[in-house]
Amino acid sequence: MFAYIVRRVLQMIPTLFGVMLLVFVLFNVFGGDPSLVLAGKHLTAESLANIRAQLGLDKSQFAQFMIFVKQVLTLDFGTSWSTQQPVSDIIGSRIGPSLLLTGSMLVVDLLIAIPLAATVAYFRRGLTDRIVTICCTIAMSVSALVYIIAGQYWLAYKWGLFPVSGWGNSAFHNLWYYVPLPMLMGLMVSLGPDIRFYRSFFVEELSNDYVRTARAKGLSERVVMLKHVLRNALIPVVTTVMMSLPYLLIGALVLETFFSIPGMGNAVVLAVNNSDFPIIKAITVYIALATMVFNLLADLIYKLIDPRVQLK
Amino acid sequence: MTSTVQAAPAMNSTPEVHRGFWALGWRRLKRDKIAMVSLMVVGAFLAIAIAGWFNIIGDGWRKEVAVPYAPPSWLAQSADETLPPAEEEAGARSDAPIVTMTEAEDPIGKELAIARQNMGKYASVETPLRESLPFGGDLRGRDVIVKTIKGTSTSVFVGIFGALFTLLLGTVLGAISGYFGGKVDDFLNWFYSVFTSVPDMLLLLSFAAVAGRGIKTIIIVMALTSWTGTYRLVRAEYLKLKNREFVQAASAIGASDTRRIFVHILPNISHLLLVQFSLLTVALIKYEAILSFLGFGVGVTQVSLGSMLAEAPAELVQGVWWQMVAVTIAMSLLVTAFSLLVDGLRDAFDPKANK
Amino acid sequence: MRLRALALMAMLTAACATTALAAPDPDKVLHSSFNAPETGYDPAKTSDIYSHGVMENIFEPLLTYDYVARPAKLIPLVAKSMPEVSADGLTYTIHLQKGIYFADDPVFKGKKRELTAADQVYALKRIADPATGSPSNYLVLGHFVGVDELAEKAKNSKFDYDAPCEGIKALDRYTLQLKLKQLYPALPYVLAMPHTSPVAREVMEAYGQNSLAHPVGTGPYILKEWKPGVKTTLVYNPNFRHVVFDFHPTPGDKAGEQVAREMNGKTMPQIGKIEVSIFTEEQPMWLAFKSGQLDELYSIPQPLLRGVLNMDPKNPRRAALKAEYRKAGLKISRVLDPEMTYWDFNMQDPVLGGFSKEKIALRRAIAMSFDTDQTIRDIRRNNAVRMEYTIPEGVVGHNPNFRYQYEYNRPLANALLDQFGYKIGPDGYRTTPDGKPISIDFLGDASAVGRQWNEYWQEALDSIHIRVTFRPVTFNDLLKAMRSCTYGMVGAAWIADYPDGENFVMLNYSKNIGAENTACYNSPRYDKLYLESQKLQDSPERNHLYDEMNKVMMEETPWLPGETRFRNRMMQPRVLGDEVHPIFQVSWRFMDIQK
Repeated sequence: MFAYIVRRVLQMIPTLFGVMLLVFVLFNVFGGDPSLVLAGKHLTAESLANIRAQLGLDKSQFAQFMIFVKQVLTLDFGTSWSTQQPVSDIIGSRIGPSLLLTGSMLVVDLLIAIPLAATVAYFRRGLTDRIVTICCTIAMSVSALVYIIAGQYWLAYKWGLFPVSGWGNSAFHNLWYYVPLPMLMGLMVSLGPDIRFYRSFFVEELSNDYVRTARAKGLSERVVMLKHVLRNALIPVVTTVMMSLPYLLIGALVLETFFSIPGMGNAVVLAVNNSDFPIIKAITVYIALATMVFNLLADLIYKLIDPRVQLK
Repeated sequence: MTSTVQAAPAMNSTPEVHRGFWALGWRRLKRDKIAMVSLMVVGAFLAIAIAGWFNIIGDGWRKEVAVPYAPPSWLAQSADETLPPAEEEAGARSDAPIVTMTEAEDPIGKELAIARQNMGKYASVETPLRESLPFGGDLRGRDVIVKTIKGTSTSVFVGIFGALFTLLLGTVLGAISGYFGGKVDDFLNWFYSVFTSVPDMLLLLSFAAVAGRGIKTIIIVMALTSWTGTYRLVRAEYLKLKNREFVQAASAIGASDTRRIFVHILPNISHLLLVQFSLLTVALIKYEAILSFLGFGVGVTQVSLGSMLAEAPAELVQGVWWQMVAVTIAMSLLVTAFSLLVDGLRDAFDPKANK
Repeated sequence: MRLRALALMAMLTAACATTALAAPDPDKVLHSSFNAPETGYDPAKTSDIYSHGVMENIFEPLLTYDYVARPAKLIPLVAKSMPEVSADGLTYTIHLQKGIYFADDPVFKGKKRELTAADQVYALKRIADPATGSPSNYLVLGHFVGVDELAEKAKNSKFDYDAPCEGIKALDRYTLQLKLKQLYPALPYVLAMPHTSPVAREVMEAYGQNSLAHPVGTGPYILKEWKPGVKTTLVYNPNFRHVVFDFHPTPGDKAGEQVAREMNGKTMPQIGKIEVSIFTEEQPMWLAFKSGQLDELYSIPQPLLRGVLNMDPKNPRRAALKAEYRKAGLKISRVLDPEMTYWDFNMQDPVLGGFSKEKIALRRAIAMSFDTDQTIRDIRRNNAVRMEYTIPEGVVGHNPNFRYQYEYNRPLANALLDQFGYKIGPDGYRTTPDGKPISIDFLGDASAVGRQWNEYWQEALDSIHIRVTFRPVTFNDLLKAMRSCTYGMVGAAWIADYPDGENFVMLNYSKNIGAENTACYNSPRYDKLYLESQKLQDSPERNHLYDEMNKVMMEETPWLPGETRFRNRMMQPRVLGDEVHPIFQVSWRFMDIQK
């Protein structure tokens, strides 16, 4: 087990290197020149050169990549090029709102989707199943943009059920006052596919031989469902959720823009627009690290719940 | 569905048996009423799309036929408020003579004077603009229905070709990776894990910023950010199938690697690819809407459902809802039908889930 | 019922009486909004209008503008009086007010820190310091005796702030002397920009690179909290001196009189706390305002104008709120921004550029094919007037009687192209007279609005059979292409840094190619007139030169003039004293709000 973990951690190094290479090539080599944006209205060749020197953009690509490597090793990405705030401060202040929104959305989503998925899987091929599946499919077919635009207009503005947009300083206040509407809009988008996705796990589990055996042994359907199927089907559910956790960090871009939530999604778009490389690099590296760590955790949990799984 | 025909042989069949498998799947699909209805709807959309590509319908979407934001004809209109008549203009402009470039000063003044006599040739006929349209108009007074038809056509095009391209990329890489194994597999796997570790949104924003705009870019961006799922699926299948007897047999009679990959193994996963293709098409049609909203949509002379939707926020606050509703109806119908068809296909061709 | 109302009134009057004398009520909170993210709050380091707006309330430059006078009029602020200018116009002497203190900051270690002439000297030199990387350095460099030499030396070492400098020096604790190399008629306006506000050297040195987050000024507000790109919170500065509002609007100026009625006699500032949120999407901003979450809208989003305002389709200057909003008591304040938009032809483009007759004819035909009135109506929603002079209204040097415009006439444009041998080929598009294909490389941004413009241009160019390809790019690539003259056509805009014509006519000076001259216009005729105008203060002679320059541009056609837009600020009924000013970005310090 320990050897396995060590090996997996070592495997992360080439992957991380690849991620760094990709981001570097995309932004430093092909990306726009940030000094143009930073120099303001009256830029001259001289002021551009001055800014490029200050940002270290006049160094060779190799030297710039080495600086990036050093930044990753020390996890210190310096300061933002546009607002000159430390990158760690910016990410620190942005991550909370994103997590609050996407985290609470995930919890509610699971609480609704899993029981519903289990129920419809239990009645599979019945009328309930068909209706739920079709409802999910229809809900999935509407673009997220339509939900957000229309939801904000009618639910918040016309009917006054929610605040139109905004964000406060207390997490608790945000949670019960500002989060519900964007969360509802997010759920409209995510519930459909999730219910269908989890349903497939349950259906697959129900078709296993042991279910037939258990039934043959005379166990009631309820016991079969609760004791065996639910437990086993939860394994892929848990691992899928684990693997989706890193994506919570980056937030929901469109939701954040429309509801003025000061989260990571907003920060990424702002950074890309301003060619604010330190922020882009930091976010990419952190997300990549989180993705790899959570993938490993997912595999480990898989192993813990289901000892039959062989770790390679 | 209790006594379903056991379809297991498909997995280790030779191409001959395979044809039987497709026929069997089709027979099963025909029994699924929802899937058949969906198939018809999708077929209708495809017909519209193809007609749109060849400019048979929706060609005139750029014509300005009505006033800006012409409302639907069946909607009662209230008269617009007007300002009270102007009071005496409070001296914004004095009575001093107007100064401007004279014809003598103009370097091309003489030529302009001659041209003025020849301009009759280009005189255009003004067609009066309509006050309302069957389902309203957009900012430039273009008919929303025609625009939606043309937009649907573009979106289906983007969805289908994006999916094909993604599938091609994922399948080729997955097949090579799974079939050859070893160093090649290690390298492609590294490539795969790099792409899955970078958030899609960053890839998307940066690719799109580098590649400019237009249908080509959308399709490339889609392929580059969505190939990983197909890759993993195909790779796993090839790992499993490459040691089967029929592949071994093929190698015994001297079939080349390429032949074994594409002629012997590929048909055995074609049903998986069909399902994957349909799933991708649906996803990419929706993806296009988000790309357009972020400003990476189609060019000026083209229209897609996404580019129409990108106009919706500015319109809705002004009470102009018809374009958004038209797009939403078209897109929901298409995507719902497509998704239900995918369900039907999966049930019909993937015997494992068919319990 | 009656009694309670009376009691309430008594309480209200009592409350008013106390607030008029003491510090502002900390519970009076103003919720305001910006349409785009700000950069930060270091006067020397930022140049965007939103940062500018916030800094107006934190920092105080030597001079400022009268809040109610129209057109904008300069008045002293930190200075005791307007600058004393020597007879040759090259030496400015400015006396500072005594007893102005900076807001408290840990750097001052609990002591009160008085503003002195040395702080102004430091602030100006800091703009010239290459290490600051100031986007405003053009305001200082090249103008003052001895400063450029200091900046040049600082390229290899640190800027020597203590070295004597003839051009910018403090004669004593409260007297500043500025010596110019040549005339600089815009200098008084420059000294009214927040960018040149005096700053304390010890503060800037203490916060070093992070100065954007630590503004310390002498103005009525201090920065309480800053979440970049999301929210900025200001609170009143308890150190702020006693200033009583006393506005004297021009008689007949209804908006100004309203402000005077609402504010005269009160002390500055009245509002205890200001919260500014950034809304990048229009729908949420408008809905937040309509539902009362915002007290003030920086500007009504463009797509909403038609739904909010009744406008005279023939005269964009006339507009009033629709009855629905008027009845709700909402208020509007409207001003023409000191700006203009225009379409650049790249004068160095092999197809479009050049000064030969056939090239001028091609550009002229393109200009004549575009219906500016239509785009003002459809895209700008009638919220703009045509730009007819290269210096917009409200800026010194503007000539309201000049008509810099090309007739919208597509048949004539076509006939003109025929005249010069731009033949229509078999594919339906014109070629150059020597038979080469034409394709205009049209630059644009990737937004939904950018797309709208492209649609109008596509239609216009189709009508004269000219092929066009649109190239949507990110903002920095747009700038790059414009600076390096590698494009065909592009839409550009310029807003006044200071309201003097010089700030606009320099846009076409050939030495500014690679910087502000984005049309890459290199005209000896224009340059000659420009250099002559540089030697003059505002005068009929200078205005005459400006007219001649406009004529030269009209003839040579590097631009198709666009429009000048209105800024429409909208407020809730409870907001008092809010009037949009042509130069100030915000009015918070002059306002009050009913609780």
